Formats: sequence, C-alpha cells, structure tokens
Amino acid sequence: MLPREKDFRSRLRGAQVTARVGVWLGLCFWIAFVTGVFSHYAQESTGATWLPTRPVSLYRVTQSVHVLVGTACVPLLLVKLWSVYPRLFARPDVRRLRATTVHLLERVSILALITSAIFELATGLANVTQWYPWSFGFRPSHYAVGWVATGALALHVAVKLPVVRSALGSDVDAAEPRTGSPAAGSAPAISRRNLLRATWIAAGTAVVAAAGSTVPWLSRVSVFAVRTGDGPQGVPINGTAAAAGVRKQIDDPSFRLVVDGPARRVELSRRDLERMRQHEADLPIACVEGWSAVGRWSGVRVRDLLALVGAPPDSRVKVRSLQRGRRRFDLPPQFAADPLTLLALGLDGEPLSEDHGYPCRIIAPGRPGVTQTKWVKRLEVVG
Amino acid sequence: MTFTRVLLGIAGLAAASYGGWLLADFDAERLRELGVWFVAGPVLHDGVLAPIVVVSGVLAARLVPRRARTAVMGVAVVLGSLTLMAVPVLGRFGEKSGDPTLLDRDYTAGWLVFAAVVVSVAALDVGLRGRRSDGRSRRPAR
Repeated sequence: MLPREKDFRSRLRGAQVTARVGVWLGLCFWIAFVTGVFSHYAQESTGATWLPTRPVSLYRVTQSVHVLVGTACVPLLLVKLWSVYPRLFARPDVRRLRATTVHLLERVSILALITSAIFELATGLANVTQWYPWSFGFRPSHYAVGWVATGALALHVAVKLPVVRSALGSDVDAAEPRTGSPAAGSAPAISRRNLLRATWIAAGTAVVAAAGSTVPWLSRVSVFAVRTGDGPQGVPINGTAAAAGVRKQIDDPSFRLVVDGPARRVELSRRDLERMRQHEADLPIACVEGWSAVGRWSGVRVRDLLALVGAPPDSRVKVRSLQRGRRRFDLPPQFAADPLTLLALGLDGEPLSEDHGYPCRIIAPGRPGVTQTKWVKRLEVVG
Repeated sequence: MTFTRVLLGIAGLAAASYGGWLLADFDAERLRELGVWFVAGPVLHDGVLAPIVVVSGVLAARLVPRRARTAVMGVAVVLGSLTLMAVPVLGRFGEKSGDPTLLDRDYTAGWLVFAAVVVSVAALDVGLRGRRSDGRSRRPAR
C-alpha cells in the first residue's frame, strides 16, 4: 500500500536541491541556537552579571535575529523535507545486517532532528503571538529541544558531509546519477534552479512579512507582523496594568517607593521622585517575543537612588513589583551603576501610562524586556 | 574530512544528550504532553502535508500547461509556506482582550493582499514567458 522510494519520479528532487537548501537551513538553525542560548542566559532571575550594557540595542538585535531567522526556516524546512520525502519510504536490505543497522541508526538521528526542528519552529511561532496551547512551559522546553535540534543537526552534517560536498560541487540541474532516472532527454518543465529561487524568495518574504514588529520602516508591508510597533506613548506593551492586577495600588495616593540600602531605608512618593534630578535616555524595549521599539524615557538614575541609601553604584539590586506571582529579576551591578539605567517616571514627554508601569519602572540598556520591571514598589540593595 | 566528521559527530551527540538531560527535568505529565507534540510534528508533516503536496504536484503536472508550471510551483512554495507560517496570526489564538498592541493588524486582509500580489507576479511571469517563446520558433509538442 505504501509507496516505495522509486515511485517518486519528480526530477525536481535531488541532492543538489537538498544540499543547497540544507546549507541555509543549517546556518539559520545555528544562528537561532547561538542567539537563543544568549537570550536564555540574559534572562536569568539573578540578573546576568556577564551581560554588557553596550551597545544599548544588543538584545534588540540578537532577539530580532533569533525570531527572524527562525521565521525564514519555515519555507526552508518545508522545501528541505519535501526534497527528501521519498527517503522516508526507503527500505534497507534486511539480509545485510551491518547496512541495516547503519540505516536504522541514521533513521533515529534524522527522526530526532525533524521532530526537534518542527517543535522549535511551531512553539516559536506560537510563542511570538503569545499563544500557549501547552502546559510544559515555553522557555525550558524551547531551550532543551534547541539543544537536541542543534546536536542532531551537527550529527546529520557529520554523516552527510561527503554527499553535501559532491552535491554542492555539481550543477544544480544536472541529472541525478541514479538508476532508473525517468524520461532522460526531455527538458523538465520546472528547473531546480527555479525551485531554489522560489525557496529563497519565500524565505526572504517570510522575514519581511514578520520583521515589522521590530523594524519600524517595514511595519507597513509586514502583513504578518505580530505587532505594528505602535502603542500607548508610541511603544507597545506586554501585559496591561489590569491584567497584572495592580490598578488599585498604582492609583493609591499613599504609594511610596521603598529603597532599602546598607546605611538607611527611604520611602519616596512619586512627587519625591519627580523632585530628584531627572535624566532622559533613548532606550529600546526589546521583548523575548522578538518585537522591539525605542522610547524616550525620563526619570531618576538608579545609581542616584543607591547613593541616597549609602550604597555604591555597582550594587546588586533586588527589584520588587506591585505585580504578584511574576518572575523577579535582579538588577546586576553593571546595570545599577550605568548612567542610562533609570527608574523611569515618564515616556515620550508624558508621565508613564499605567500599562507602561506607572508610577515608576526600571529601564536599562541592552536587557531583555521581561527584566525591565514595571510598577516597581521596592529596590533592595543585596550586595 | 574524516577528522572533522568525527569531531562534529561527537559534538552533536554531546549537545543532543545535554538537551535530553534537560528534558529529564520535566515531570511525567509535562513529558507526556511534550511527547504528543514531538509525535505530532512528523506525523502531521509526513502523513498529511507531504502527501497533499505530492498529490497536488502530480495533478499539476497533468493539468497545468507546461509554460505555467514554474509559476504555479512558485505560488505553491511562497504562498503555501507563508500561509502555514501565518497560522498563529491568522487564527489570532494568542489574542488577549486587554492588550491592544498585540496582534494589532487585520491579518486576513493582509493575507488577501499578499496572495493577490503573489498570484499577479506569477501571472505576469507566465505572460512574459509566453510572449518570449512566441517570438522564437515554436518547439514541437511532446
């Protein structure tokens, strides 16, 4: 009932196509892996002490690249899988034990590769739209399976390297040196070259169609971008004050920010904070979902607040939010000391909107958006 | 080359094993659900999507005039893969009523415009090819 490998006659398939698409797919997966590991460690709860504070758009760039190369992988993976689909129906000669064993081992490694690759793309695409049709937690699963995919990919390249080299060395449209090549002589209606062109166009278009979430001038043509990049005060939000359950507390006139340091502990109202020396910083907010936008933030330098309580600028600071039950992120010493790191009170020349973290929020250069705590109620110097 | 291959193979095995070891941290219920996701990927691709594409290819090779086949292939690759990629935004499954900045475009309209552009470019390609081959002497039919 099942077809056999030789039943697939399309001359569009061939190692030349598979290898060329594979090179780009492998490259994209590798870039996604490196940027993904970076992102994973950049959002450690204790704050990443190794993370540099410059350039200010570091995380904006790495995470946009991560999401966009992953997006480009969708057409690449589909064409790649199509090009090798007949191999699924290959049957080893069971009389030859060694060949059969090798065949089965390779099957297992390829199954691991395909399974993990599809998992990474599917969960990644769902996550950027904040769609979570699972209970296993996106971050740990996407991270663990990323290692499986990358490892299986390296193994696959190791196995296939001779085939890849010979395929890349031969002309794309050269006939496959295989037995029973059908209809040799007549030119095929579609050339492999054109199939590859269509694949590159699809991958490039996929990137452009999604990139508007992070590249403002592409927003108009990015028809599948998850966000237009617009929002209150010109910056999108990720979680409203209402959803965080903080609306009552932020409107409470008795709100006081607590700063707890080695020498003393101070309580500051929003008015007190406004009376301190104000600074401006143009900093991006760049989320793990791959969207980003630059805002003009204004407020008090965190290092000035540390000085108030007798703490050195390069202190580790525990940041507490009015929002409950959320992952907490410390401000590591290099960010606490940075003159661009603000306890922001305003955005775009106005007081922060409630969804941007009114009465005050953290904004620091080059960090993942999830660590830029909103609705801050307490800063505690811990070392 | 053998040395490179062996090194790459060992590194690959190590990385994949590390990933597997990380997965061992999940509890039984999460692992079961992960298993469903792992199985679903290849099954949906190999059992549903790929057969549809293969059968469509066979039909197209019979029904579509020879000079339009490249264009039809192009539409299938570009529009097909981008439509699949856009399923999460087209379905708006992640939409939260409270966050107006998430999924803040009309994706159906975007898809229609995108599809119209892709099909128009393909039609233009067929037209230009036809004109070019009309200029030359016609090839004998197969």
